[in-house]
Amino acid sequence: MSKIKAVIIDDEKLGRDIIKNYLVRFDVIELAAECSNGFEGIKAINDLKPDLIFLDIQMPKISGFEMLEIIEEPPVIIFTTAFDQYALKAFEVNATDYLLKPFSPERFTEAVNKAVKQIEIKEPFAVKAEALVKTNDEREGYLDRIVVKMNQKISIIPVSEISYLEAQDDYVMIHSAQGRFLKQKTMRFFEEHLDPKEFVRIHRTHIVKLDKVKQIELFEKESYRVILHSGEKLPVSKSGYQKLKEIF
Amino acid sequence: MVNPYIRNRKIFTLYALLWGIIAAAHFSIVVFALGVNLTFAAIEAVVFNTMYLAIGVSLWYTASYNSIENYSPAKIVTNHFSAAVITSALWVGGSYFLLTSLIISDKPYKDLLYHSIIWRFLIGILFYSVITAINYVIIYYNSFQNKLLREAELNTYVKEAELKSLKYQINPHFIFNSLNSISSLTMTNPDKAREMTIKLSQFLRSTLSKNEKQKSRLTEEIANAKLYLEIEKVRFEERLEFEETIEKYCSEIEVPSMILQPLFENAVKHGVYESIDKVVISLKCSLEKEYLRLTVTNNFDPESVSSKGEGIGLKNIKSRLKLIYNQENLLVSKKENNRFTVDIFIPLPQRKVENE
Repeated sequence: MSKIKAVIIDDEKLGRDIIKNYLVRFDVIELAAECSNGFEGIKAINDLKPDLIFLDIQMPKISGFEMLEIIEEPPVIIFTTAFDQYALKAFEVNATDYLLKPFSPERFTEAVNKAVKQIEIKEPFAVKAEALVKTNDEREGYLDRIVVKMNQKISIIPVSEISYLEAQDDYVMIHSAQGRFLKQKTMRFFEEHLDPKEFVRIHRTHIVKLDKVKQIELFEKESYRVILHSGEKLPVSKSGYQKLKEIF
Repeated sequence: MVNPYIRNRKIFTLYALLWGIIAAAHFSIVVFALGVNLTFAAIEAVVFNTMYLAIGVSLWYTASYNSIENYSPAKIVTNHFSAAVITSALWVGGSYFLLTSLIISDKPYKDLLYHSIIWRFLIGILFYSVITAINYVIIYYNSFQNKLLREAELNTYVKEAELKSLKYQINPHFIFNSLNSISSLTMTNPDKAREMTIKLSQFLRSTLSKNEKQKSRLTEEIANAKLYLEIEKVRFEERLEFEETIEKYCSEIEVPSMILQPLFENAVKHGVYESIDKVVISLKCSLEKEYLRLTVTNNFDPESVSSKGEGIGLKNIKSRLKLIYNQENLLVSKKENNRFTVDIFIPLPQRKVENE
């Protein structure tokens, strides 16, 4: 049987060292790469196709979670972090385990054994838990950036630069100052994760950023539309109009 | 409130003296205007005024029980009107009885007294009104003083509580991450692990003890803040650099405790945490007019979107400085291109300025 390929992604060398050291005892695992940031991590996962990754959450530029959002076939994941508030979210993205720094070799072994078992029996890791764990971790607050990948290029879109979002089948088109980006998420996700003080769902297919709105005009009888500062015109549903009326 | 006429000897003496003057005036009026002989006039002045002196002391209670806060104006006026009539009647009646039946039996004087009763009654009302008015003034002056005192006390409490709430709190993630670094170093570099353990302990000890103190010398502040950076440097290695420029004379100046370290922590959080490249944090201490100026600068990745909770540490310091020195704008921060600068201004103690 071939060895299990593992990649460590952590921006701190000492954080990587400890995992590397603990891994020496596992004959079945082969360390394929060490990455010191999210970009390297994405590249390593796409190039090396590892079976298992040890992933830190807080990293510069793009976080562990944001990394996972743009990886097509994520491997088995063991999170390693000093932050305990991400545990819920970690299991939402089907992490196998969540190690709180600093962790003991015993705890590490337990996590790795779990992961190895999952890889060996090729269990479609856990259940798609997204439906099981509801995202209502208040402490996390709203999104302040969105990471997207288009044509092999990774872009980080600050939420402040977004003007509106538009539903497109299974995707959402994000219209921002940098251009247009597709993201595989639902409108509902964005409605819940963007600050409602700044973003309003004005239509089944549109969420608009309020400070980009120039005016609301009567379009046809009993039907309204929003005109942005950029000149673009967006449809407004009846309930969307009600929401806007309360704000303006 | 206790009757000040009884409690306070000084006030009582003053009060009695006043009645002496009134008695003298009474005596003169009776002698010159009414032509009463000197002996009778003297007796009358003593009897009437001593009696009102005694009644007057008890008038304190009518004023203090009829406080304006607790009763309607109509009720107060009625109460005082009845009290004025009763005390005047008692006073005039009592004095009249005492004078006519016990002391003086001269018929023309008795008649004179009898005919002037209504005037005396009115004067009694006047006495009542004046004394009551003075009593109200005393009551309100006293409660005003008390209020000021309580307010001052309250302000001190509020200030203390606010300062407490703004106290620097060690970030638990900093501790856990440091412990993880130590855990890692125990395997690869035990000497460095020990060094880091010692540094972390020093930092924790001085932070915990400093938090109890209001002020400390700048050198101590700098030493503690550098300790923090050294610990972070073990974690981030070459991603974090530090440089300092400290003018002479600065180091002995007293500054609020734990004022510098949060600035460094802010720089690390928004600079080093969010950047892949090297971040240089620099500290500059200089004297500027009547201020000690501390400047902390760091470069940051302009592309990184600032993470949440930005500025809470800085806001706390701003509020603390404002509370301690009673001045606005002692913390100024600015973002320029890819540099973030925070200036804090510590007002120098007055005599320090004179010396230099």
